[in-house]
Amino acid sequence: MAAVAVSSLLAQFAPVAPESPNAEGIRDSWLFISIFVFAIFVLVESLLIAFVWKYRRQKRGRFADAAQVHGATKLELAWTAGPVVVLFLIAAFVFIELPGIKDVPDAAAGEEQLEIKVSGRQFYWEYEYPNGVIAVDTMQAPVGVPVRLEVSAPDADVIHSWWIPSLGGKIDAIPGTTNETWFQAETEGTYSGQCAELCGLEHARMLASVEVVSQDEFDAWLAERADDPAELGQEEWEGVCAKCHGMNGEGGIGPRIAGSPTLTDAEALGNLVHNGRGAMPAVGAGWTDEQIRALVSYLTENPPSGS
Amino acid sequence: MAARAEATVPAWQRGRVASWLVTTDHKRIGILYITTSLVFLVLSGLMALVMRLQLAQADADIVGPERYNELVTIHGTSMVFLVGVPILAGFANFLVPLMIGASDVAFPRLNALSYWFFLFGGSVLMLSFFADGGAADTGWTAYAPLSIQAPGNGQDLWILSLHLLTVSTVAGAVNFIVTIHNMRTRGMTWTRMPLFVWSILLFGWLIMAVMPVLSAALTMLLLDRGISIGPVDVQTDFFNPEDGGSAVLYQHAFWFFGHPEVYIIVLPAFGMISEVLPVFARKPIFGYKAIVASTVAIGFFSMLVWAHHMFTIGLPFSLQAFFMISSMVIAVPTGIKIFNWLATLWRGNLSFETPMLFALGFLSLFVIGGLTGIYLAAFPIDWQVHDSYFVVAHFHYTLLGGVVFAIFAGLFYWWPKMFGRMLDEKLGKWQFWLLFVGFNVAFMPQHFVGLEGMPRRVYTYANEEWEGYNLASTIGSWIMAIAILLFAINVLKTRASGRRVGNDPWQADTLEWYTTSPPPPHNFDDVPYVTSARPLYDLRRRLREQRGEREPA
Repeated sequence: MAAVAVSSLLAQFAPVAPESPNAEGIRDSWLFISIFVFAIFVLVESLLIAFVWKYRRQKRGRFADAAQVHGATKLELAWTAGPVVVLFLIAAFVFIELPGIKDVPDAAAGEEQLEIKVSGRQFYWEYEYPNGVIAVDTMQAPVGVPVRLEVSAPDADVIHSWWIPSLGGKIDAIPGTTNETWFQAETEGTYSGQCAELCGLEHARMLASVEVVSQDEFDAWLAERADDPAELGQEEWEGVCAKCHGMNGEGGIGPRIAGSPTLTDAEALGNLVHNGRGAMPAVGAGWTDEQIRALVSYLTENPPSGS
Repeated sequence: MAARAEATVPAWQRGRVASWLVTTDHKRIGILYITTSLVFLVLSGLMALVMRLQLAQADADIVGPERYNELVTIHGTSMVFLVGVPILAGFANFLVPLMIGASDVAFPRLNALSYWFFLFGGSVLMLSFFADGGAADTGWTAYAPLSIQAPGNGQDLWILSLHLLTVSTVAGAVNFIVTIHNMRTRGMTWTRMPLFVWSILLFGWLIMAVMPVLSAALTMLLLDRGISIGPVDVQTDFFNPEDGGSAVLYQHAFWFFGHPEVYIIVLPAFGMISEVLPVFARKPIFGYKAIVASTVAIGFFSMLVWAHHMFTIGLPFSLQAFFMISSMVIAVPTGIKIFNWLATLWRGNLSFETPMLFALGFLSLFVIGGLTGIYLAAFPIDWQVHDSYFVVAHFHYTLLGGVVFAIFAGLFYWWPKMFGRMLDEKLGKWQFWLLFVGFNVAFMPQHFVGLEGMPRRVYTYANEEWEGYNLASTIGSWIMAIAILLFAINVLKTRASGRRVGNDPWQADTLEWYTTSPPPPHNFDDVPYVTSARPLYDLRRRLREQRGEREPA
């Protein structure tokens, strides 16, 4: 029983099951390092326990001298050289895995790489697809296609960090800089993650997810979103407004906004989200008229109830 | 000597409180440092308990995001700047002159100034909770531009506090360096110096090398936030990308200080372990010179690894590779220390009083923190686990499982020298086991929840799969709280009725045990000529030879 429990716990001592080649390369590197880490752990802790047991005082005098050994040069050399060899092996393995982790694979024949701009903002993720479609927090992506992400943050925002554990490591979204990462999801499904760099009050609720669907479904979704941005309005409400003002506008760390005339006034709302006010950051700095209209039309049809 | 020293003190300075306020005695200043740090340890620990309550369940609502972020920030800042560094400076104050056979530090008045700056800096940080807008809430790292934009005065007070603390720390470092270089007693060559003193020498040099960089970064941050000097408003854009500044420049400056800071704290803890283990193994330390060399090597390399905290900012891969290799290099001297400590136990006559238990606990836990560091040094893996709870677990294994255990080993070991009374062994052993178990219950699960994707510094989480791990952490934190409470009880009990002991209750090897417990104001009436790294061992052996006695059996 205990052995089973221990081995299942050990199996969990690794990054989550990878769903993308880069995440797989990271996990493979992890497992390789684990061999040495566990070996050294067992060696040191068992020597410690063995010495504590074997050389305990027993019947000797409390202050009786033990063996007056001052050192041994050969041992010193051994435990200097040993770790050097281990670390060399680890570094070599990491460098062998590195290209598969950092380089975006070439697109398969007949398929394009997809490029999505990811913008980290207090406290939501904004995605821009090649045809100009905008989405918030939930990213749609086709299965099996390499997706290149250009990750940044608006100049007036703060640093965020993009992280979907099963789709690879994280990369920071830094104002004034554009970083790059990628994934290629192997199976359809929803993969979730969240912002990993403290970015302010609602950092904890800056969630992200990637919905991986078939290429056909993805194409259909992209075309539909280009025609009708109603869904965008809902995403903006839930991802941008509701995190601070409550799902029904009842108030949270921000004030109650249900019933406010600003919500349905494109000019006033545009002014507010473009510039911020008081403690509220400029959450919509750089938003287009279309993005504002999507939010206004969603809120006109679905006025927040306030409770 | 003693009589003369007392006669020069004016009457008003001899009061119970006044004598502590005006003291320039390194021993009293050391005790002031240690006591103040322990108070800050309790305060910062209480903050951690509140955070753990908030995280015990998903979507809990015990403290809101504002208060939680303030707690995260002040807990971290305080543990590093008000507990880690100053408590070790306290030990250094008390011990360095005694260990090298000196009558005080080189600059006693500067030493007092260091302490008072520390107290003022710490008070500013704690009182900043009452500032307009609350305390700073951008993490102990205070990354720009978040820290530039932070409203209210909390962030400004945080900067002020750290400015005071860096002045205090640098002044202390100068003092230790000059003292160690110039005031060693006759016969105490570099290779006969106690390993703790070696670690304090490196502590001093590292502080001198990196603290000014922090001061510069803090000043730039303050100017970016904007200050007014009379009618002139100054507002710069060093770290503000909106107007051409660089957000990551702050990170470089911060971590150029921040990583050596870890070793500024860890090296003296290593030093204490190197003092405790031989005394309770009745052996000399194994590989004295190797340990000294590894201390120097760690100090040097610690200044070349800073960007391993910044693997996710999009550095060129060649730079990431450099910082991976430099970080791995530092594992080698650390390993040398661990193997030498193990070899010190080998063929020993081990006795398990509380200082030894904490030293062994240190050894078993620090290894775990060191090994998880290897994953973090490999930069592609760091992309995955950076800023997750895995990192939180890693640095708590090194700083709590490592440094705090070493500090308790030191407290139990040197308490009789400081106060002439022995801390209670039974309470001490209970404290050790509760702290050991509580620590592992609290921090082992954080490795797993971090690997599953829980980022650090979140005030809440929605994923119910993370609840079990978090609840365990919370339970562990309360077990640790009981352990700390036992220590407080132990201190009070020992003050009232602790067993009085003589000069050298542990039959130790270093000079501080040659004088009385507690030592007189001038430390020593005479200091024996030092002929090895273990002057008291030599002395005991010579006495036995003179009396014609045999080795104690």
